[in-house]
Amino acid sequence: MTRPARPEPARRPLAGLRVVDNSHIFAMPYLSAMLADLGAEVIKTEPVDRRDQTRAGNPFFVVLPENEPGERPWDRSGTFAVLNRGKRSATFDLTQEAGQDAYRALVARSDIVVENWTPRVMRRWRLDYAHLSEINPGLVMISNTGYGHSGPWADSPVQGTSLEPMTGISHFSGYPGGRPWKVGQSYPDFVATWHGLVAVLAALRHRRRTGQGQWIDLGMYQACVGMFGEALLDYQVNGELGGRIGNRDAYDGLVQGCYQARGEDRWLALTVRDDAELAALLRLLPDTLAWPSGAAPATLAEAYARHDEVDGVLSAWVAAHTLEELLSPLRAAGIPAGPVNDARDLMFDEHLVARGFYQAVEHPAETGIGRRPVITRPWRSRPELASIQAPAPALGEANEYVFRDLLGHDRDEYAVLLANRVTGRPEPVEPRPAALSLEDMLRSGRFRELDPDYRTRIAQTYR
Amino acid sequence: MQALDGLKVLDLTGHIAGPYCTKLLADLGADVVKVERPGGDPARAMGPFRVAADGTRTSLLFLYLNTNKRSIVLDLEDADDHATALDLVRWADVVVESHRPGTLDRLGLGYDVLRSVHPDIVLTSISNFGQTGPMRDLPASELVLYATGGMMAISGQVDREPLKHGLAQGQYAGGVNAAYATLAAVTAQELGLGGSWVDVSLQEVLASELVLNEPMYAWAGGIQGRRPVTGDGLNNLMPTKDGYAVVQVTTQRSWPGFIEAVDEPALRDERFATPEGRSRNAKELDRLIAGALARLGKKEVFARATERRVLVGIAQDPGDLLGCDHLAGREYFVEVDHPGTGRLRYPGAPYRLSATPWRMSRRAPLLGEHEQEIRDQLRAAVGVKEPL
Repeated sequence: MTRPARPEPARRPLAGLRVVDNSHIFAMPYLSAMLADLGAEVIKTEPVDRRDQTRAGNPFFVVLPENEPGERPWDRSGTFAVLNRGKRSATFDLTQEAGQDAYRALVARSDIVVENWTPRVMRRWRLDYAHLSEINPGLVMISNTGYGHSGPWADSPVQGTSLEPMTGISHFSGYPGGRPWKVGQSYPDFVATWHGLVAVLAALRHRRRTGQGQWIDLGMYQACVGMFGEALLDYQVNGELGGRIGNRDAYDGLVQGCYQARGEDRWLALTVRDDAELAALLRLLPDTLAWPSGAAPATLAEAYARHDEVDGVLSAWVAAHTLEELLSPLRAAGIPAGPVNDARDLMFDEHLVARGFYQAVEHPAETGIGRRPVITRPWRSRPELASIQAPAPALGEANEYVFRDLLGHDRDEYAVLLANRVTGRPEPVEPRPAALSLEDMLRSGRFRELDPDYRTRIAQTYR
Repeated sequence: MQALDGLKVLDLTGHIAGPYCTKLLADLGADVVKVERPGGDPARAMGPFRVAADGTRTSLLFLYLNTNKRSIVLDLEDADDHATALDLVRWADVVVESHRPGTLDRLGLGYDVLRSVHPDIVLTSISNFGQTGPMRDLPASELVLYATGGMMAISGQVDREPLKHGLAQGQYAGGVNAAYATLAAVTAQELGLGGSWVDVSLQEVLASELVLNEPMYAWAGGIQGRRPVTGDGLNNLMPTKDGYAVVQVTTQRSWPGFIEAVDEPALRDERFATPEGRSRNAKELDRLIAGALARLGKKEVFARATERRVLVGIAQDPGDLLGCDHLAGREYFVEVDHPGTGRLRYPGAPYRLSATPWRMSRRAPLLGEHEQEIRDQLRAAVGVKEPL
């Protein structure tokens, strides 16, 4: 007996589930954006008068279209748009009892709660899992903090820059012999996003089978320490602490590096994985390149032992060429090689464009954002599984939907909530905040370059 | 009871990303059958190792990545073994693989073949650049992924080469992404919405971390670069007496606490009292902070700053982590006994699930250790469900 073939479904897997996204900044907003991509109705609950730092506030976390704040800069942030696409937004003043009551009523009508407040705050407002599960036993709730809700550091303040070195990963990241380096931006946040998604989807499976909800206590610290188990075992077995070796390979003797090519700040990364690839690489090098020790290494092991010398020779070779001149022969020879791509390179990368990694999302006219490419997900599948369905919400755009349609408040009750600022929408700010100085951003290193043609180029690629 | 009890996973992966994906599922209760090629998962030959007195090497990487799984050896180019693999496809809910794109088709185990024997199967394919697009067939390495995925362009010092994270973060990150994407497809499958082929790109995993960098360009044309040379004592890791620490001042309120934490009264000077002043006098500020930190031990800095609720991070090494009071308080490390190594402490639950806890049930398998058991089970299962 074979299983019957089913018609391709149009319903996404989380359709019919409602998520209360009471989170801010990166990790949990990104997680609930993925739940929205998977079909859930995600309602972002936001304070009436305090903004998510990616809406407004921390200038490094916000980037505005054409650097213009407009009347409602908090509805125009690019970072917010990436992290909150597909959601609705309703405002709740959780410091007021009426706000807490409304929040509880919304949770009672929802399936998932996502939050990243410090442990004390949700307990004080009686919005922690212990209280919320009383009103909704099937609730799946994820709480993300730096260190988790128990243990001696549970209440310690932390954020990305200070957490990354705690996790141990910075000990292994940096130039040889130098200080530990932060790499990328807020790496522990993304580790939390991904592990949190595994946990939420697993907990939903348990709920489908048993009806039982549960609480996920996610500490970014623990999630990150599991990302290099081999180094922790190495220390126990061999007493090896490891350390900073730049871009070199730690354990398997691969020979690799990142070398500057001709042109403005263009870099080539390449790796040689075995003797045959080494021989192929050596064939590409011109005879005029001298090996200080007399001869080229014959084996990968020898090349690894003479890594400094290999780096010197490869640096000289790469420096004499453009990336384009080197990439074709290296790739033809089967050697892993690629450019260091910056934000512009990625956006117009033939491969990523062909795969639809960025999706053009149309934003409401009043935001003035227009059509802009947004990061989708690092995986492709049939569109019925996941897709971006809507742009990020304006602050409080779903207040009426939530308070009147979902929570059933009549016109008068809603008016009282508005009058007491339990919910509401902020007025346009006067005077308008000044635009950030692009010169400052260049000077501070936030921007390396400003591309005057970005709008035209984006419009051509992401029609 | 565990959250993924009864979820049957056929694991055709090797190296790091794929095995980490299936480990995460197995640690939550999924029944993972790891198919190894004759000779075993290449990760069995990847370092670091424990080397026994007789020279036998046991890969510590493999041991960590393959807990809670069972192992069977199949040569997928052999007709009998291929038939066994198809039986496993009938048995499984999910197949995870990490071969080069196109390999599964060549082996007669492509998505269409899998679907023909199991119509709503979930297939998760993990590869460097994905299953489509002009770069699909190019080889890559962890370094090349960090370069092409965009992370290196914003990491490192502006006048030096771009920098990647140490170790194999791109591979691990790929594994976690593959695990959640797989569970999304399993959700659809269990709801009767059909099977899916999930195509995970390790390059895109890294590019998906750039949630500031991408809109900086798309919204304002800004292209972010590496970090400037100026020593920024308030945001960079600085040397302490015995290591490195970063103490952050993100609010004006935390400045007095910061001064107490680093124990440097000279910072009370009014030149440093405001963010603008600190920025204007950054050089002098850095000198004072560097001097203060160099007089303290890293754990001392951590304790003093934490006590005053000032953001602080210290660069911990494996010894610090294994001795960490907080991880001990969270019962994080779990002891695992393996014949190749004896008892070792492994990283445990990435999070706590209140109703269906993460669990370490089984050490990593020896090569083909569960051959007989899996074949017996398969005969029983496939025999009942679907006579051959």
